[in-house]
Amino acid sequence: MGREKEKEKPSEKALNLLRSRLADPNFIFKPLSDSPDSNYSKLKFIISTSVTEACNNSILLLGPRGSGKVAVLELVLSDLLQQYPDVISVIRLNGLLHSDDNCALKEIARQLCMEHQLLFSKVASFDDNSQFMIAMLRECGLAHKTIIFVLDEFDFFAQGKQRLLYSLLDAMQSVNSQSVVIGVSCRLDVDQLLEKRVRSRFSHRKLLFLSPSKEDTERFMEHILSLPVDSSIPQNYTAEFNGRLKKIISDERFKELINTYLSFNFTIGHLVRFLFQAVSYMDLDVGFLSLENFKTALSSNQRQPKLECIRDCSILELYMLVCMKRLEVKEQNSYNFFSVMTEYKSIHDSSQTSDNYAANVCLRAFEHLLQRQLISFIDNKGHNQSVEFRPVKLLISSAELHQGMKSSHQCPAILLKLMDR
Amino acid sequence: MAVEGSPQVTRRTTRSYAASSSVVESTKPTEPYKPTLNDLGFGEQPFSLEDLLSRFPCRRAQILDFLRLLGPLNSPLFPILVYGGPSTGKTSVTLQVFRHLNRPFIYSSCVTCYSPRILFESILNKLLFHRKDSGHSYSSVKRCERPSDFVNYLREALEGVISNLKGNSGKSNSKMSGRPDGTMVYLVFDNLERVRYWDKSSTILPFLFNLYDILKMPEVGLIFISNTSPDTYYLNVGYVEPVPLYFPNYTEDDLRHIFMVNQTNRKLYAAFLDVVLRPFCRVTRRVDELAAAISSLFEKYCEPLSDKQVVPNEEMKRKLFSQIRPHIASALNATFHVQSQPLLRGETNKETKKTNSSRMSGYLEDSDKIDFHMSTSAKYLLISAFLASRNPATLDASLFDSTGISDSRKRKRKASEKSMEQKEMAEQELLMKGPGTFPLERLLAIFQCITSLAEDSLDEEESHEPTTEGGSRGLMSDVLLQLSSLCNANFIIKGVSCPLEGSTRYRTAVSEDLALKVILSTSVL
Repeated sequence: MGREKEKEKPSEKALNLLRSRLADPNFIFKPLSDSPDSNYSKLKFIISTSVTEACNNSILLLGPRGSGKVAVLELVLSDLLQQYPDVISVIRLNGLLHSDDNCALKEIARQLCMEHQLLFSKVASFDDNSQFMIAMLRECGLAHKTIIFVLDEFDFFAQGKQRLLYSLLDAMQSVNSQSVVIGVSCRLDVDQLLEKRVRSRFSHRKLLFLSPSKEDTERFMEHILSLPVDSSIPQNYTAEFNGRLKKIISDERFKELINTYLSFNFTIGHLVRFLFQAVSYMDLDVGFLSLENFKTALSSNQRQPKLECIRDCSILELYMLVCMKRLEVKEQNSYNFFSVMTEYKSIHDSSQTSDNYAANVCLRAFEHLLQRQLISFIDNKGHNQSVEFRPVKLLISSAELHQGMKSSHQCPAILLKLMDR
Repeated sequence: MAVEGSPQVTRRTTRSYAASSSVVESTKPTEPYKPTLNDLGFGEQPFSLEDLLSRFPCRRAQILDFLRLLGPLNSPLFPILVYGGPSTGKTSVTLQVFRHLNRPFIYSSCVTCYSPRILFESILNKLLFHRKDSGHSYSSVKRCERPSDFVNYLREALEGVISNLKGNSGKSNSKMSGRPDGTMVYLVFDNLERVRYWDKSSTILPFLFNLYDILKMPEVGLIFISNTSPDTYYLNVGYVEPVPLYFPNYTEDDLRHIFMVNQTNRKLYAAFLDVVLRPFCRVTRRVDELAAAISSLFEKYCEPLSDKQVVPNEEMKRKLFSQIRPHIASALNATFHVQSQPLLRGETNKETKKTNSSRMSGYLEDSDKIDFHMSTSAKYLLISAFLASRNPATLDASLFDSTGISDSRKRKRKASEKSMEQKEMAEQELLMKGPGTFPLERLLAIFQCITSLAEDSLDEEESHEPTTEGGSRGLMSDVLLQLSSLCNANFIIKGVSCPLEGSTRYRTAVSEDLALKVILSTSVL
């Protein structure tokens, strides 16, 4: 019964709609692509000319993570697939998955087989697969079909011997094929990573994806967050929702808030994630977005994890940290548990504190610190040595430690004093 | 069968198993249980939000945030990173939240799935409703080692499951209660911090973080659970970070709330916590460690009381406090203890407290309880191993040769300021380097030196001891046997063989305290 009632709630419907919009890259990048000098139009022009004129081509799409390279590319490809059906086939590779040449060629062969309804053999060798690929390139060239290779995380393909890139680009030149290689990467210097033999075969056409301007961001947020008029959501609710949203967006405080967020995360992907958080904080009983939602989203993004870790520490753990800090001040450049322990003992000898614990308890605290990554082992060597003997280093600065101890209300005053001395 | 009637649902072996095995096992062993779509839910009756919140005291804000991020039914989810210290309730909150929502999810812990292949295959097994059994010799449904294969299989499996779920939601869901709701499938990866140590090239971690973008399926929600904060995952590859959700450690007040849950005599327990909790919170703030320490202390606290239901007054509290105080002090300095002789232990602890000023006597108190049995020759062997690994080989002559001793004494007298400093430096270095390694020959030589010294004293007491009576040749085989048993017990660690000498080198991990105890128990000194 209760569930049935909830389903009718317009706010929940609106929330669902907004969330599915945010998760759908096509919807997000559609409005940014209509102007003629956008990356969308440029990319579409390049690919469609190489399809119609039956030539080979290669492009690099560069830009920071989350700037919508793949999303725009997918938009273009889906458009072209509609425009020229049966002429284009798309092979998608990802550097994270297929950086190994063998694996990549297998995947190419698999996708080609899927595309052309051929039987794919799992046991085919590297040579078989590469011959198959070249044969397919030739056949497709003869049949005037274009194969588009999308290489996501292109920099991973530029590691090692670059055999895949070489064989692909070489085949494009020697065989009269018809294919487009599109590299997508967030490294701007990715063409410098290529070997000479690969680079000479690569056309150095690059498309840069930059962060949107302020006006664009505003327009973009309104586009995403405002509800459509022609939906199943009640009209009067939609009108009020959109009205309130407009008010928020034009609010000076909101602009400031967005600016602070964008000053450290400036891509659309980050903005979308931020909006997702803000939208999920929407109160379903009130049913409308408020400035508070955006504020909580911002504060949950502006976390200082190391400070949180220090605040989570027990007093004994703080003692261990302070001891290490003191050792560092004494310019002892490497220390392990035992040297920390001697420092701990000396602290107690000099200033009688109430927190004097046995070595095994201290060791447990020490291990907690290791677990929380406030300290770490200096090297990966010596796995057969026990924890006590392996040298460690602090992963926080003294300023951070100081700030963290000040803000944790349970920290005894003597520790702060010991820290300074 | 009688077993059939009893609710086996509650018999959950591990947390990861809970996702798949919550339904009653089949009664006949010949007919294996076939997992269905229902097993993707939590399997037990979902409960209300109030129940969920009351199950986790002091986690209200986190649970509400979590529910908000998960959103209403069928709404897509951006990847979430749930992080916070150990034993702050990350995993249990996540699992119970899914129980509350009754949505399909797949839980896999990177501790139990300790390699990429096992992780991938276990996820696929659960998605494809495959259960390992003797019918197909406990094999997984698909063999997949590489992320590339995994993505292909995963996409296929997820599409199947999601279309299945969609078919379900079309029907009226009133007739069956076991079905999970919605068409979203959530993948939960627990203990993500383990993945960092999986491979040197670190391809799995960026892969997992980018899995959402690679799959491009809005019906899949990813939830990562980690002990360490997001800043420990920065990679040179980069990724759009998951949405963080932080579980802070419990404060002292929170801990008091938690320990007060399900107490029969609340007044008495509150009085007990007033005394105990504060000192323990200074040492550790982890619930599991505190619970272990506190539960045994509470028994001690209640010992003088005849009636456990009594409401304590001020005077009684004071009395109880004075009785429990020594126990607190000793429990604070123990990480864990085996309760073999609870009575004896309490007394000795009290005495060590008194004699704490004179360290030697303190050790003497402890010495008679090395809590395991060791043969005499094993003890000697352990001592010699300790000496061999703590002293440089160059010192052996002066330590064990009667002519060498005077030599070293002369040198010591001359010690100037500078040499003292050097000595300090060397000490520091020794502290840093840890125990050294030694070849077998050196160990045996030292062993012989010690036993020959001890022979006289031992002959009188234990003439039946074969290892000391027989000469050096007689005890050889026995010593090697003892050595291997010490190696097995992890007292002595067998290192890699030295490439120049070609012989195995050993090292001992025994602490000074334990060595002292062993020495005292042999009564050589």
